[in-house]
Amino acid sequence: MLTLGLLVSLDPAQSGAVELRLRAHPSMTVGEVADRWLPVAVEAEDDSVCRDFHEWIGALPGVAFVDVVHVNFEEPPADSTSPLSP
Amino acid sequence: MIDRREFNKLAALAAASAAAQARAQQAPSAPKSAPADGITWDKAPCRFCGTGCHVRVGVKNDRVVAIEGDQLADVNKGLLCVKGYHVGLALYGRDRLTQPLLRRNGRLEPISWDEALDVVAQRIHGAPDKFAFYGSGQWTIPEGYAANKFIKGGLSNNHIDPNARLCMASAVTGFLSVYGVDEPAGCYDDLDECDVLITWGNNMAEMHPVLFSRVIDRRTRGEKVTLIDLGTRRTRTSEFADDYLEFRPQSDLAIMNGIAHLLIKNGTYDKRFVERFCSFRKAPADPAASPTAPLFGDEMSFEDFKAALEMYTPEHVEEISGVPAEKIRMLADLFGNKDIRITSTWCMGFNQHTRGTNANRLCHGIHLLSGHFGKPGDAPTSLTGQPSACGTAREVGTLCHLLPGGRVLANPEHRAHAEEIWNLPKDRINPTLGYHTVLMWEKFCTPTDEGGDISTLWVRVTNPGQSLPNLHKLFKAKEGQPDKFLIVSDVYHTATTELADLVLPSALWVEKNGMFGNSERRTQQWFRMVKPPGEARDDCWQTIAVARRLHDLGHPGMKDKNGKFIFTFKNEQGAEVPVWEWERYYDINVDKALFEEYRLFSRYKHKDLAPYDEYVKARGLRWPVVEQPDGTWRETKFRFSEFDDSYVEKGAEIQFYHSVTKDDKALIWFAPYEKAAEEPDADYPFWLCTGRVLEHWHTGSMTRRIPQLHNAMPHAYVEMHPEDARERGIANGESILLKTRRGEMKLPVWFDGRGHPPRGSLFIPFFDERLLCNDLTLGEVDPISKEPDYKKCAAAVMRTVATP
Repeated sequence: MLTLGLLVSLDPAQSGAVELRLRAHPSMTVGEVADRWLPVAVEAEDDSVCRDFHEWIGALPGVAFVDVVHVNFEEPPADSTSPLSP
Repeated sequence: MIDRREFNKLAALAAASAAAQARAQQAPSAPKSAPADGITWDKAPCRFCGTGCHVRVGVKNDRVVAIEGDQLADVNKGLLCVKGYHVGLALYGRDRLTQPLLRRNGRLEPISWDEALDVVAQRIHGAPDKFAFYGSGQWTIPEGYAANKFIKGGLSNNHIDPNARLCMASAVTGFLSVYGVDEPAGCYDDLDECDVLITWGNNMAEMHPVLFSRVIDRRTRGEKVTLIDLGTRRTRTSEFADDYLEFRPQSDLAIMNGIAHLLIKNGTYDKRFVERFCSFRKAPADPAASPTAPLFGDEMSFEDFKAALEMYTPEHVEEISGVPAEKIRMLADLFGNKDIRITSTWCMGFNQHTRGTNANRLCHGIHLLSGHFGKPGDAPTSLTGQPSACGTAREVGTLCHLLPGGRVLANPEHRAHAEEIWNLPKDRINPTLGYHTVLMWEKFCTPTDEGGDISTLWVRVTNPGQSLPNLHKLFKAKEGQPDKFLIVSDVYHTATTELADLVLPSALWVEKNGMFGNSERRTQQWFRMVKPPGEARDDCWQTIAVARRLHDLGHPGMKDKNGKFIFTFKNEQGAEVPVWEWERYYDINVDKALFEEYRLFSRYKHKDLAPYDEYVKARGLRWPVVEQPDGTWRETKFRFSEFDDSYVEKGAEIQFYHSVTKDDKALIWFAPYEKAAEEPDADYPFWLCTGRVLEHWHTGSMTRRIPQLHNAMPHAYVEMHPEDARERGIANGESILLKTRRGEMKLPVWFDGRGHPPRGSLFIPFFDERLLCNDLTLGEVDPISKEPDYKKCAAAVMRTVATP
């Protein structure tokens, strides 16, 4: 299980709608919005899912940018240390 | 009681909430994540690019388990890019090198460190003048410093050059020939203050995303920041741009001349600034007159400068570049507007260019000519690709013509000063310049009886078997030459270790102490946090241990003028510590000892460094770091500007105190547009450009070990315009044959993907060691910087299956 802390930069005109969409998502925990910035924690079985979430958030109308601030891989997924296979 | 999973989620949310609060209040806040539950946290700069983001590294049971953006860091203010948040996993690829390997009968076989050190020492001792170091902008500052001292001060041999030659050498020659001293005057704060950001062939959104985020963040706040992206291929950066101006490869030179032409013609150049702070320069009439003639050129009057630019009318520039004349006028009008602040950034687009030095000079030139210089937000700033290309390659001087701190081997006073600091006998340092990167590899790959006079080459922290241009000539030709011996210190097997005769396993990032220097003159420090795997050991130790073997073999260069080993260190009690014995290496802080010695070099070019302990406390400090009357140390954000740089005299306003012309003036250069070394023709009708992608860092030796990044971008591809593909009956994803005059390869086509090359252009990323695009690239270098052009050569494509 991987856990990601994201900082979502919002377009003020649409920030409410974005917040509602994210709060409704079962894999996301949304913090308190501070001005135009919304903190979000995401957890997923593997990082490709985290990345998908990241990209999904970034593509939402009203989202200007998504930055990563925290990642925990204390419990790595089964293949997270798999070697390169040239 | 909350479970582990819930705890991790809350920790992630706490970090994100703290970052949101910090953004909202525009002030840094202390890290908020819980220190409990067995995770200990410490700071380090990210291992990857030259941005120099700071991360907080969470360690549990001798393993890195979490990464956070460091909110106390000015560079990234708590944010990270996709590579940064995976940096911890780079340590844990299953195929880490864990023991020395010697090639016997064609196979790499495990040997002991004792044997490995003997092999290296014997090779060097047998022919010290035929030994070379190929180093890196990923070497830490102490690692590079120790290697530089070992070879130049110990072996009296200057064959040391870093991979940074391949990425920022043209930026160096640009800065030197304009200001008389290397590295940007401005810093990342310019991104927070500019009204206009111009990205010159610089895909900042993917290559320096955290810096790009600073600009986008300002727009989010409602500030107006105009972004103009000039490029030869539409990228993610272009998507954010107010204007995307696509130019024909190599014609950036004409565009900048066109801007300068209009500034003068329209009378919008900054006459006061130019008269007070600048003079003019052109290429020397006799480049062979002296070794520095091409770098410093000949004087030129303003009238001659104006006349030389006469032909670069907007219409003529449009003919050369394809950029509409009205857009050239728009750019000139922006530079002619003194009420706005303009920051230019560039990276490999200017530098990997057969006229890379001139491209750099011209960009500085339009900023100086227009007076867009020296105020926050008004700056020409090069960005680097490696975490310590500035700190280790440029400042420590691990190039074949340099000594530490901006000194040059050609200057007898500089050599004497280095000999004094290193306590060496007079004339120990050899005045003959070493081989630059391309020449070094050429000499190594050329048979000895044909003049190939490098016989042992030790590669450190880099992967030239993938990153050198024209690999057939400059790397693969080593094969089958039994008297050539390749040593590679690295953390994973790479394209380079495939031809290695000896492989040495290295410690990586927070498995060792380290210091980096980023793109904005910021020196950063970190401590070892976890142990390296198996028998992997610090690169710095490897150098010192080999030096000691040579000392014991009787090599005279390994002793100073008092007969002491050149790497003698004492503990706090004054007792010498045999740090060449691995078990004793961490008895003292060798990094600190080396840095304190290196620091003595830093004053000459006003690149003053603070004591090591100041960097322990800080998230990096930008040089010159000047001691204040109260004993504190103050960094410098804006060099040469009186309001911030304590070396500028009172009342001077701007002072280029290392001026080439010794009059405190910078040089504005004229440099003509010249064609590329190889351009498309009937046989090879496409331009071929190579570069990077967001997910992978350079040759991918670390990021391809991170499954998440590997899976996101599993293999290389060629980007092509859909119309070019359609004309040839090529489908998206189809494997095609790509040919240049140097080689060919099959790879899949991707159009309408991440990047969008114009018709007649192709792009390949270079991260994939199974698809070595440098089998195709040219290898022609800029005549001044000796940096190769990876961005332009001629190519052909053909289908590998018959059209149905």
